[in-house]
Amino acid sequence: MAKIFKSLNKVLLEKQISKLTYQIELLEVDTDLLKDKLDKRFEKAVKAEIESYRPTLLEKEIKQLSNEDFVIYHTESKLEKLEKSYDLKKRALTTSKIRKLEKTESAEEKQTIEKDSKTKLDMLNEELKAKKAELLKPYEARNLKADELKQNHKAFKEAEKAALESLEAFKKDLSEKHEELINQKQAQVNQKIEAKKAKLATKKALLKPIIDRLNDQTASSIESFDDAILQVEHLTMNFGGLKAVDDLSFDVKKGEIFGLIGPNGAGKTTVFNCITQFYKPTSGKMIFKNNNHDIISLTDYKVHDVIKQGIVRTFQNVELIWELSILDNMLVGAHSLYRSNFFDHSFQTFGFKREEKILKMRAEKILTDLDLYAYKDFYPLGLPYGILKRIELARTLMTHPSLIILDEPAAGLNDSETEDLAHTIKKIQKEYDTTIFLVEHDMGLVMSICDTICAISFGKKLAIGTPLEIQNHPQVKEAYLGGE
Amino acid sequence: MKLTYDKKQEKHIWLTKLTQFSKHPYFPILLLGFVLILLQVIGSTGVIKPSVLNFLSPVLTRYIVALGFLMLLGYAGLASLGTAGFMGLGAYLVGYLFETAGVSAEMAFIIGLILSLVLGTIVGFISLRIEGMYLAIVTLGLSEILKNFFQNSPLTGGAMGMNLEAGIKFLGTFSSNTLTYNPVYYIIVIFMIVLMIWTINIIKSPTGRAFLSIKNSTSAAQAMGISLLKYRLSAFLLATLFAVTGGMLTMIRSLTAYPATWGIDLSLNVLAAVVIGGTKSIWGVLIGTFIIFGMKDLILVKIPFFQTYKNAHLMFSGALIILVVMFYPGGVIKLFTDLKALVIKGYNKLITVWKEYRYGKDI
Repeated sequence: MAKIFKSLNKVLLEKQISKLTYQIELLEVDTDLLKDKLDKRFEKAVKAEIESYRPTLLEKEIKQLSNEDFVIYHTESKLEKLEKSYDLKKRALTTSKIRKLEKTESAEEKQTIEKDSKTKLDMLNEELKAKKAELLKPYEARNLKADELKQNHKAFKEAEKAALESLEAFKKDLSEKHEELINQKQAQVNQKIEAKKAKLATKKALLKPIIDRLNDQTASSIESFDDAILQVEHLTMNFGGLKAVDDLSFDVKKGEIFGLIGPNGAGKTTVFNCITQFYKPTSGKMIFKNNNHDIISLTDYKVHDVIKQGIVRTFQNVELIWELSILDNMLVGAHSLYRSNFFDHSFQTFGFKREEKILKMRAEKILTDLDLYAYKDFYPLGLPYGILKRIELARTLMTHPSLIILDEPAAGLNDSETEDLAHTIKKIQKEYDTTIFLVEHDMGLVMSICDTICAISFGKKLAIGTPLEIQNHPQVKEAYLGGE
Repeated sequence: MKLTYDKKQEKHIWLTKLTQFSKHPYFPILLLGFVLILLQVIGSTGVIKPSVLNFLSPVLTRYIVALGFLMLLGYAGLASLGTAGFMGLGAYLVGYLFETAGVSAEMAFIIGLILSLVLGTIVGFISLRIEGMYLAIVTLGLSEILKNFFQNSPLTGGAMGMNLEAGIKFLGTFSSNTLTYNPVYYIIVIFMIVLMIWTINIIKSPTGRAFLSIKNSTSAAQAMGISLLKYRLSAFLLATLFAVTGGMLTMIRSLTAYPATWGIDLSLNVLAAVVIGGTKSIWGVLIGTFIIFGMKDLILVKIPFFQTYKNAHLMFSGALIILVVMFYPGGVIKLFTDLKALVIKGYNKLITVWKEYRYGKDI
């Protein structure tokens, strides 16, 4: 009874802890959102202030115009329109004249056509003149002298200067308030974060003894888990009579790039599928240090729960959602982060909208980091293969995983794209502070980026070590190039 | 900073606000509802014939059913052939609970929804654990079982059908066959609008994205933390909910239910409406529903060939499905966008030709 209660308590605590960590994550983004909002409000206020000076200044500006400029100011666009329409009319006249001339052959008729068109052209010109005069009529009445104009000009300049000065003062005053407000909000958010963190620490302290007691078995079997993040022990996977993976063990250290190589059909992808629980292994242990630094056995989890522990994978053939845009694909990658439920989605509640906004911001940031922002609104169908591979890589970053598993990232890419990819993988490992575990056929890529390499053949481990060691290992050479 | 002035000032702020609102996805839905309600308000004064107006209600109830099917087929990628069975279940449940059990119509509506959701959960749980076409097979079987039950059970009135002659009072309206213009039509329109908005909300949310991920790639969906069973089941339950609602509204509107109505042909017709209209667009499905269900009552009835062979309209919809799948996999809605593009292109070309003729080549 006590055991059941304890395990129940553990589950509840774990849920609370994950909720708290998520809330802290959201709050950390919140300051950016708030700043954005306040900046927009500031700009709006400044714009409104400018708007308030506008009518009086505009009046003064018009007053200081010279007679000619005054007329132009009022009639410029209208005159343009008028001239353009008459221009078109004239062109129509000439084209119709040309057409008529082509049809007839007698000289007399040609002469009459020329005459006709000329009279019509004259008429059009006169019409235009009359219309222009009519347009200008109401404004030509104004007649200011040079002194008056000068005075008006001076008045305008003064008014403008005063307006600018007061605007500066207004901006200065407002920006002080603005910064104060931002600081205040930030302090509030920080306070909230600290409170949440304190709560989290107490919850974790509560959880620790329970986990220690419950996981006695797994904990005792691990001897050196200090720097390892994933430990595979005696992994065996049978498909009927075929042994795809046979008693394989290795450690993946935290923060490194780990490569798994082997000839075709060596069982590399099977290892991946076992780790991500797509296959349940026949026997063997897989121990993983998850996002909360707890040590767990991966076989206890379902396929769709593995991502919540901090393992994300890509696929050999690009597995993007073809009917969704790239940004939506990124949001699918963040699916396990959504705390809003079906009810929230149905009624588009405030919390859900905020969550969506924050995750969209994160997606856009990752896309800009990997130089993919331009493809944000595209659909995957029709994009180059190299881009798709990088988008799949970007999708894995949405959940801030501690271990990224890449299944043949360079398959189907050309040399320059592979180079690009190697650069991206290095960048991800550094900037996002993750461990990368990859299977690859392209030896150039593996040797250049991996810290540790494990070579397998027919499901069995051949060798494990640094790239140089692997290159000179006799058994590896035999597996790749064949024995005697 | 320099203060600059534009010559033009902004006029008609309300107009810009209206154009902004017209781009909101709810706007066309609300507009449609307004037009449909106005149609009966004006029509019931005698302007429009009752036969024309009365054909709308069954089509709109079928549209509600098709909306659920759109989420199931177009988004979650599952096919169910038990739609008609669930519709019939809804119709009989509301009839039985109202007439025999003596509950109020609103209460009967809610109880019916809950009961059919329980049945849907059981069926979905059994059939959705296995991949492939098993859902279609299981639901087909269920539909036939339900149809036989309707035919032979004393609860449903057997082959004679169920008849609520006294009329039914539902949400403040009174439905009766003696009325020429049935006010339940308004309720149906309101239900349709609410469900359309709900559908739009769901398909644009993470739930809708999860449905699409499952349809496109199950392994990617699982790797991203999407539980297949959970989302398949919720899509199936949504489709069930919509189908039952449609069946209940049909019953309240027409007040009669015969077992023969809820056969496989109705399920296939709903499928046809969704496929022909466009499996991912609620407007496409609206067009598809009008083609499949509206055409039969409005146009095909007047053609002598369809009068002599009563079931020939099935042939018509079958041929349409073949045509659409072969030449327009996106559905009729795509035909509209294509036509629009074509018209705009032709118009622009015509204008340039006319300009070249009138003003010379180098315009």
